[in-house]
Amino acid sequence: MAELDYPVKRPDTCAPLQISIGNVPLSLFIREETLLGPALRRYREFAQNSANGFPVHLNEPETRTKMGEFSYLLDDAKLILGSRGAKFYGVRHEYALDSLLRILLTMVLLPQRGFLLHGATVVRDGRAYIFFGRSGAGKSTVASLSPEGSVLTDEISLLRYSDGCWQAHGTPFWGEFRAAGINRLFPIAGLYLLKQANDDRAESLSLKEALRALLPCVLFFTAEKRAHETLLQTLMGLTEEIPCHRLHFRRHAEFWKVIAA
Amino acid sequence: MKGYIVRNPKLAWREVDGEMVIISPEDSQVHELNETASLIWKHADGRSLEEIAERISTEYEVSLEAARADIGELVAALEQKQLVFVATEVKG
Repeated sequence: MAELDYPVKRPDTCAPLQISIGNVPLSLFIREETLLGPALRRYREFAQNSANGFPVHLNEPETRTKMGEFSYLLDDAKLILGSRGAKFYGVRHEYALDSLLRILLTMVLLPQRGFLLHGATVVRDGRAYIFFGRSGAGKSTVASLSPEGSVLTDEISLLRYSDGCWQAHGTPFWGEFRAAGINRLFPIAGLYLLKQANDDRAESLSLKEALRALLPCVLFFTAEKRAHETLLQTLMGLTEEIPCHRLHFRRHAEFWKVIAA
Repeated sequence: MKGYIVRNPKLAWREVDGEMVIISPEDSQVHELNETASLIWKHADGRSLEEIAERISTEYEVSLEAARADIGELVAALEQKQLVFVATEVKG
């Protein structure tokens, strides 16, 4: 019997878990029950039926990386991203899935003027306030000092330009709160770089200072020059439209008075 | 002033308020240049250092000697950070 030049494609009987994060529809093809159950729970707030979800196949037989595909290795797990879909390999638990989804989103959002930022997003009077900073800056503290239901995320914020303005989207990526997230979006009112201090005050940042503050807090996983240029362009667009401050705060809810002023 | 200067082609950069913000994609390191260094960077497309010195001399109304001295220091710093390369002759 002659060997086939290519593998025969069997019909995909695995029904995808369809979700949408930051208005990016994804179809997650998860065959393992041990992963599917936790994923259903983890992303339940982000479930959304869409016929055009970007396909993401988990733990299927590995194929060779093709020219032009992006690949990223994270411990034992691996992401391969092509123009028609993504493949995740070596995903043993929901946390690995979550990490690879973050990486995937950074790549998919980039050409759509969107990105992920180490930041908490809190909604007040219908507008989103982004409090950003590296680990230990106080993101979870800000979230804990904010009214219940007003926090879109305490860990990873999703910012995206759409419908003529910059908007913050809820994400399922949480830190200490371990919440399921809220899948809603709100126009961004301001960006606040967190700095723990002995007083509460907001210091306005210039465009360059804002860029310098934001860049280390953006989740970014590619070493490609063009991607970095796109990111710079996106951040410049953001900082030209949205005021950016350094927020000196005392880990106390009083900081809202400074922001309201 | 001898030599020709060219930007490191691996770097991503954008001009913000007349000054350059440069990222090295390989290690995500961010570099910011002051106004004069930004001017050098903008013209670092294979031009001679002498040509850039003349431009700075005109733009900032300083003597050519002073411009050369400034450029010498700044170019050495940029070169040390591998933001630019300086060649003694233009190839190609």
